[in-house]
Parts: sequence; structure tokens; C-alpha cells
Amino acid sequence: MKIIHPRPNPIVAAMYTLRDMDVDVIVVHGPAGCCFMASRSIEEAGVRVVTTGITDNDLVFGAVESLIETLRMVKEKFDPKTVAVIGTCASMIIGEDMQAAIRRADIGCTVFSVDCHGCMKDNTSGAIKAIESAAVAGVIPSDEAKRQTEMMHAATELEKRNGMAARDYLSPTRGPTKMGIARKIIETMKNGGSVTAVIIAKKELIYRFADLFLVLDEVKKKVGGKTRFIANIDKDIGLPRIRRYANDVLTEMESKGVKVDEVVGGLDEYAVIGERIKDTVDKTPHDLLIVVGIAHSYPDIPKDAILITDQPRQLANYLNSGYVNSVGEIASHSMVMGTRNIVPLETADTIREMLREYP
Amino acid sequence: MLLIESSMGKAVRRIAIYGKGGIGKSTTSANVTAALSERGLKVMQIGCDPKADSTRLLTNGVKYPSVLETLREKSDVTLGELVHEGYGESLCVECGGPKPGMGCAGRGIIAAFDTLEKLGAIKEYEPDVIIYDVLGDVVCGGFAMPIRNGYAKDVFIVTSGEMMALYAANNIAEAVKGFSIDGYAKLGGLIQNSRNIENENEIIDKAASEIGIDVIARIARDPAVQRCESIGKTVIEGEPDSAQARSYRELADKLLSSSEDISGGMRCD
Repeated sequence: MKIIHPRPNPIVAAMYTLRDMDVDVIVVHGPAGCCFMASRSIEEAGVRVVTTGITDNDLVFGAVESLIETLRMVKEKFDPKTVAVIGTCASMIIGEDMQAAIRRADIGCTVFSVDCHGCMKDNTSGAIKAIESAAVAGVIPSDEAKRQTEMMHAATELEKRNGMAARDYLSPTRGPTKMGIARKIIETMKNGGSVTAVIIAKKELIYRFADLFLVLDEVKKKVGGKTRFIANIDKDIGLPRIRRYANDVLTEMESKGVKVDEVVGGLDEYAVIGERIKDTVDKTPHDLLIVVGIAHSYPDIPKDAILITDQPRQLANYLNSGYVNSVGEIASHSMVMGTRNIVPLETADTIREMLREYP
Repeated sequence: MLLIESSMGKAVRRIAIYGKGGIGKSTTSANVTAALSERGLKVMQIGCDPKADSTRLLTNGVKYPSVLETLREKSDVTLGELVHEGYGESLCVECGGPKPGMGCAGRGIIAAFDTLEKLGAIKEYEPDVIIYDVLGDVVCGGFAMPIRNGYAKDVFIVTSGEMMALYAANNIAEAVKGFSIDGYAKLGGLIQNSRNIENENEIIDKAASEIGIDVIARIARDPAVQRCESIGKTVIEGEPDSAQARSYRELADKLLSSSEDISGGMRCD
């Protein structure tokens, strides 16, 4: 099947993966504008991103000297411990030898290259290249690299099965307002019903999706009802940065008196925990099910469930598939980059506003 | 001579044959592969030319689909679809590439090598010798790939005494020397594929001296080559007792004595 809507990029996937490993500096070996928007987000998360700014002359004559010069500037300006050089379409098409440039620059810290470019089909192939290169460089342990790679393969399969790679075209949508689902949630709980809320978060998005648990707790305190919270927020799984996300959110929830009832998997396991989440949900009956995050990881999800996604094309996918109670939390990703605290969810704020009308 | 067992695994002789287009690289490579195969060595010949005709003399003229052609048809390729058995149980691989004037042939070489590496071709077949037969001048990063990134270790250049062939040989030598600062391939010598021009030996000796390498073999121009090519065979297979076959066997010996074993997979450790 030929898919014609724009999709995530392997180079950017590699950059996010390098951020997860807490590398200090990412050098994009390519044109100055390549990955410009993604770079800004990653810098928000505390990783320096620089570019070799390949020009037309470099395409013709080779850009190794430019990379060497950039690496030496990186050393002088930032004195990093770990630097990753990532390929782009331009540098990889002309066959740039990034490893040779790294050796010649000899900047006295851990520097490794990631041979990736934009034409590698699945975006996860870029992430896998980053994982493999980092393992060879000793930046991450090989057993963790193996696990991470398995997660990436699972994510690829999930997207092809139920996600954005399962349709030949998806038009982005902002979807309906949150008024309808806000009322449905409040009314269910006001009538003494039980709500099971599930977060299947992809890494840092937990900082925004966790607000759902906070607001449901507020609803329960004001109008009654029962809640059950399930999330992939195991703080002992994944790379140190990912564990930190889980720890931040759990600590903040605890300070507000909110507890996750069932923890199922880690924040990087969103693609492999669907069955376990479903089994956990099915153990206890509920009147309303809410799934936020990678909802399509959850198998055979009931059509009357409320689905919340941060992806405008994924939202179209859910609505087109008959999930009429789906809403979008568009631009969530940019809101969570660099944060260490829970960020308000628009759905949650709508519920809070509506809740004021209730005595 | 062969093979040093290194602590990091079985060693592999990694040889690249470069030279101007049409100078006889593929004929020379295929005859060397056949000669080494006769000695019981497992040889993998990798053709690095969009024409994908490097190994046809080893496969009785049969042209198997190239790596890139196969990859274009399907993404889940297996090694069995890319590596074909040739004369003397040699292993024949053609990188292939785009039609003339289309796409980027250099990028094709890189993509083909990536695929062979990803599929673990060296681990699977455990060749004793890898021969890269590479198109013409080192015109871009892709065609330099066999002499960079640890693929080939010893580079030999096929040339005649004709000016354009020597010009190409000089360019290739310059590229190899340029990459040698990164610890990659080194120049092993010139292979004279004679065209019977006047003072050919002297002209080539002078060029070799200017480049700073030796002429390791002089292959005579012999109609046996054309006779065997016309039936899709190497001279080693088609006329095994001929003087030309002896020349190719001597060349094969020279290549072995002028190169070194390096352990590793598709690339040197």
C-alpha cells in the first residue's frame, strides 16, 4: 500500500532516541534547515543541537572538513561528554564518511555517528540506527539496546496494523470540542458510575496525559462516582531519562493524593502492553472507559470508549473507524518538551470548567 | 599464505579491483576468482557497477538479478536471492544500479553494501577472499565506498598503456592515498592488461613509478579471452591449459602475496 500523508521522519526519530540517552550534543550533518523544527523541541529538552550546514559546494566536493570544523567548535563551546553525529539525506547520498571525520577531529570525548537519512521508510529505522550506534559506542548497555530495538519493531508493527501506516491517506483533523465527553464523564460519575481511565503514553507525553487522572479525582471528590487508574508508568523500566519522567509524574500525583491503581509496563512499552492493559481493565467492570495516548495499542477497544490522542491524523483514523467519542489534544508534544511537571490537558480543563456548574 | 586465524574471528582477504571502464576489470576479476576457487578457496566476487555484468563469466553467461533490482521489487529479501553460486563454488553478487542518466549509482553501491551487511552475508558464507570489481574512476563517494569504511583492504588497478586508462589509474591511486590517512585501503599495485600498444611495458612502468607502486602482473592480449567470453566462461574454465589461464593463475598468486588477511564481517574489525 502506498501511503501519501506525511509521516514521522527517521532522522528526527534518531534525534529523539539520542535525547532519551541523554547525549549532550547532536550534530546534524546536513543542510542548515534540516530538522529545524525538531531541533528546537529537542533543545527545549536540554540537548544541544547544531548543524554542519552543508552547502551546494559541500555536496559537490564533500563535507568532511565542515564536519570536523563543527566538531571542534562543539568541543570549544560546550565541552560535552557525549556527542552524536547524525546523517541526513544530503550527507548520506554523497557517501560522507562521518566516522573518519570523528577520528580526525579527535575532540577527546565520546563521539559516535548514526548513519541515517530520511529515505529509510519507517521512522523507527532511524531510531534503531541510533540505538545500535550508541550501543557500539558504549553509551547504552547492549541488553538495553536489544530491548529498545524490540520496542521499536513493535511500534512499527502497531502503526502498520492500526495506526497511521494502516491507511493510504488520513486528513488531519482537530475533531470535536471536549464539551461532549466532559459532560459524559461528569454525568457518569455523578450518577455513581465507575470510570476506568487508561493512559498508554509514549514517553514524555505522560506529563500531559497524567492530568486526566488528576481531574477525574477532582470530579470524584465533588460529585461522587468511582475511578480506576491504569497506566504504563513503571519507573524501573527504560533508559534513565524515561524512568525520570515516570518518577516526576508519580511524585507529583502522590503530592496531590492521586494514586495509579495498576501500573502496566514502562513509558517506552506503549506498543507491547495492549493485551496486558486490556486484561487488567477487564478484571473489574466499569460504566465508562477512557483511553488516552496510543489507544490503538489496546486490542478490540469498545466503540463507546472515549479516546484521546495528541495526533491529528490519528484522531481522523479513530473517528473514521467509528470511535465517535474521540478528541484530540493537538500540539501536546511541544507542550511537554523540557517540562518536569504535569501540563494541563485541554480535556481536563474543560471538565474543570464544567464542574463549576455542579453544586 | 592464507589464512591467519585472528582472535576476533576468521580472517578474510579483501581485494578491490579498480580501473577505467572497458579496461578488463571484470574479465580479470572473474578469472582471478575462478583461479582462487580452483585452489579450494571460497571467493565472493561483488560487482560494483550498474551494468551488473561483473560475474557473468562465472555463471555461464547467466545474468542473475542484482541486489538493487531485487530490493526494488521487495523489501524482505534473503541472502539466497542476492548471492548466486558460480564456477568453482564461487559466490557471485552484483550490486546493480539505475539505468544510465537516472538516480544515483553511487548511492546504489552504498545501499547494496548496507543490505549485504544487514543480512550478515560474510557470517553466512564465510568467504576466504572478497573481490570487489568496481566501476571506472572514483567519481563520487559511492564508488569510493569499497576503499572506505573498512570494506576492501588492498586495491589493485587494472590499466593498459593507453593514456585514458593511465589517467584513470592515477585518479584512483590519488583517491586511495587520500583515504589511507583514515587507515582504510592501501594500494597493492598495477595490473597491466595489455593492448599491444608501442612501448606499453615502459609506459606502464613509468606511470607506476610516478604513482609509487609496482606493476605486479602483465597479462598478454590473447584471443583465448574473447573465445571464452563468447561462451560465457572464464579462460580458467574454458581453456584451462592455455598460456592465458596460467597468466591468470599467476596473477591470482600475486594478489594473494600482495594483500593481507583482515578479520571482521562485511567490514574489517
